[in-house]
Amino acid sequence: MSISKHGAQHKQAFDEPLWWGLFSAGGVCFAVLLPAVILFIAVLLPLGLLPAEALSYERASALLFSVPGFLFIGAVVCLPLFHAAHRLRHGLFDISVGNDATNKKLMYGGAALLSLLALGLVLAGMLG
Amino acid sequence: MSTEQITTKQINTKHISVKRYLPDSSAEPYWQAYDLPVDDSTSLLDALNHIKEELDSTLSYRWSCRMAICGSCGVMVNGIPKLGCKTFLRDYEGDIRIEPLAHFPVQRDLVVDMEIFLEHLAAVKPYLIDDNPVKAFDPNAPETYRQTPEQLERYKQFANCINCGLCYSACPQFGLNQEFLGPAALTLAHRYNLDSRDHGKKQRMAELNRHEGVWSCTFVGFCSKVCPKHVDPAAAVNQGKVEAAKHTLIALFKG
Repeated sequence: MSISKHGAQHKQAFDEPLWWGLFSAGGVCFAVLLPAVILFIAVLLPLGLLPAEALSYERASALLFSVPGFLFIGAVVCLPLFHAAHRLRHGLFDISVGNDATNKKLMYGGAALLSLLALGLVLAGMLG
Repeated sequence: MSTEQITTKQINTKHISVKRYLPDSSAEPYWQAYDLPVDDSTSLLDALNHIKEELDSTLSYRWSCRMAICGSCGVMVNGIPKLGCKTFLRDYEGDIRIEPLAHFPVQRDLVVDMEIFLEHLAAVKPYLIDDNPVKAFDPNAPETYRQTPEQLERYKQFANCINCGLCYSACPQFGLNQEFLGPAALTLAHRYNLDSRDHGKKQRMAELNRHEGVWSCTFVGFCSKVCPKHVDPAAAVNQGKVEAAKHTLIALFKG
């Protein structure tokens, strides 16, 4: 029993560096890119402070459905999603809600699904 | 109060409440109040000694050096982990509430059982691991233990830990999961990993790269705030995360 307990205690957390890496990258994107994105798309544009054709439908779709657009979605949607998922998972553990193994699957699984959806839409737009 | 106003001439009375736990006579802990004479130089440890000697000899607490190097007299002061000898009553107004260190089982009054902390310390092998077959005393290997000031500087800050356990009382993650190796043990592991004389990093990484190793830390940072020796365990643990991530990547490619 002591041997199996010892073995379980030394189980390496091979997945954690991945979650932590995505969390860190997402944190950088959250802090550096999202304020600018919100400023342009959610503040300046609705207030009419940008030229009307700056993000016209044609221009916006041309920008989005391209390789830079794909990377843009990865940086402002997918990575911050994993950042938020990591925080939520640890937050749930902190307030003793659910169990960590399930929370992990739900949070990172949710982030992965939403990321796939976002990137899939961009890919579909690029191909279609 | 600023330091130039400190005086030992004026004696005031302060009110201290101590959380008592005497398992022989009562199963439940209770609060006991003491009034004692203090001046500006009275430390919390002086106050506890005064209670023990003059007011109530049944009070139990740990102490030894009186100068913040033995790490024995850690207690909660108004809910914050502090060393009794480094805490001065002049800095507190009103009722001062003294409790045993949080997150540890209480044995009696302010005395806690630190066994789990010592187990976590031992688990990370906090000593130089030298696989060099030529030992330091061998005249053939005089440079084995030589170290430049730059090499010393890399780990020096993390070497100041006195094992007082305040960071464990401050750590909410240790409070939730006692299997978490915790700030001091992870910091000492990092300290030896950074030491140029050490060759035990591989053994320690196996401990650090567990869920209960560096990955249970959520970078709350309170450990670094309460550390009486300014060791900054939060920085060490998060540098440990980078090391653990590198370790995992290397293990992945080596198969």
